[in-house]
Amino acid sequence: MPAQLLQGSDAVARSAIEAGCRFFAGYPMLPFTDLLEAMARLMPGAGGVCMNAETEIEAVNMALGAGAAGARAATGSCGQGIALMQEAIAEAALNEVPFVVFNMARGQQDYFQATRGGGWGDYRTICLAPKDVNEAVEHTQLLFHLADLYRAPVMMYGDYLIGHTYMSVDMQRRDYGPLPPKDWALDGRRGGTGASRQIWTWAMGKANDPGPGPDLHWQRIAAKFEDVARAEQRWESELCDDADTVVVSFGSAGPFVSQVVAELRADGLRVGAFRPVSLWPFPETALAEACASARQVLVFEVNAGQMIDDVRLSVGHRVPVRPLGRVSIDFSGMRQGEILTVPWIRERVRAAMNETVMG
Amino acid sequence: MQREVVLTGIGGQGVQLAAKTLAMAATAEGRQVMMSSHYGGEMRGGQTEASVVVSDGQLRPVPILESTWSAYVMHHRYWPGVAERLRAGGIAVVNSSVANEEITAPGVRIVPVAAGEVAVEVGSAMAAGFVLLGAFAALTGLAETDSLVEAMRQLVPPYRTQHLAVNEAALRAGAEVGAGLDPVGAPR
Repeated sequence: MPAQLLQGSDAVARSAIEAGCRFFAGYPMLPFTDLLEAMARLMPGAGGVCMNAETEIEAVNMALGAGAAGARAATGSCGQGIALMQEAIAEAALNEVPFVVFNMARGQQDYFQATRGGGWGDYRTICLAPKDVNEAVEHTQLLFHLADLYRAPVMMYGDYLIGHTYMSVDMQRRDYGPLPPKDWALDGRRGGTGASRQIWTWAMGKANDPGPGPDLHWQRIAAKFEDVARAEQRWESELCDDADTVVVSFGSAGPFVSQVVAELRADGLRVGAFRPVSLWPFPETALAEACASARQVLVFEVNAGQMIDDVRLSVGHRVPVRPLGRVSIDFSGMRQGEILTVPWIRERVRAAMNETVMG
Repeated sequence: MQREVVLTGIGGQGVQLAAKTLAMAATAEGRQVMMSSHYGGEMRGGQTEASVVVSDGQLRPVPILESTWSAYVMHHRYWPGVAERLRAGGIAVVNSSVANEEITAPGVRIVPVAAGEVAVEVGSAMAAGFVLLGAFAALTGLAETDSLVEAMRQLVPPYRTQHLAVNEAALRAGAEVGAGLDPVGAPR
């Protein structure tokens, strides 16, 4: 298929439909609104349903319901709306209902929210952070696969730049391999047929057919997330092998850091870039290896310092880990502010290298 | 090779449509493209800007450009913010029907095109943006005129199809102007 010029939100919507998503629900909130509008426009033609819910709480629970019935379902919002969705995300993680949450964030200040979650119980949320529109298209399809593979709600960490930038996009269906049958999905039978099923966070079962109960059920889910943590770490590493300084960034910030690294390399500076593609599970082993020869690790994130915690957990105390970003939001409050530019990052990386590596 | 263009003007001049037309035409020709938009809440008269990056090979762009090789200037009001990003050796194609003589930048070739007058000649002053785009693309080689026409046809919504003919005429008239100018060298 030839490449098409698509705006990020439109491209993500098309990719979701290509992946078999047939239910979408959301409540308008910039910069997520464009994705909701694209879904509303495209879903009926694909034979699916897009609901403009009355709140984010309603939207996420609609997605949970559609997922429980076996559909490929999704919802989304930005940080404020995702905050409202946390209870349902936790419930779905613990009663094992797959769906995708498109978090079109208003910047990078929701890293903790995306990776730690705000629901209850022992659960984690797989979270992928694309660097641009093309990767968002790929992640969209991968997320539906991972959700079904692990029977869990999963999240994309996008933002204004992902949603609004146009790129030439290769919109093909990706094959991520076979999936287990959805023999757990609810089919609407209410009993008497022998086919009635139950999806219950506490897994207590029915009177005549007791379930494992919360202790065993939640232990099994915890073990599942341990497996996910080992199996699903994704990252991109550039020029780290001989690097004195490694700059870590995520999502939309990644291409800016890549360009800075290319320019500083051209000046003879030994600098590399590392980008966690999965924010959870965080690629801790790969990051530790990428920093093996480094004398400092710089963390560029457009917030007061959130991912830096995961970087420190990964590289330990062997090498100093320093923050490079700060809070920076534009006047509209919808997108990253003035620090997300190549010159801003380049001058600070250069200064940090002069101080530490040369000094 | 990667080339950048920043398109600037005021709301109502069709700057966003011109940017999308160029980006879609270059995509159809098999190039890698990124396009970003920036505009205010005003429908008319406010700042409107877009950037388009076109690459023959693997694209390594960022959606907020530090500098640009070229500019498409429909109006002078927001020119200073574009001028400071234009690299020496670059080119700015300027709608001289509106923009005044303040359009200069060190080391940058300024190419005036009387887009307004040409648009009136082909049938509608509203099509000035497409005249300038036709001239810009012919001069820089970023897209073929036929690709621009096809992209424009896809982008104009069904309730505006009465403008298709004059838009096409404007693109082709602009391309003629562009073809008559000194060709540009390889961008830096």
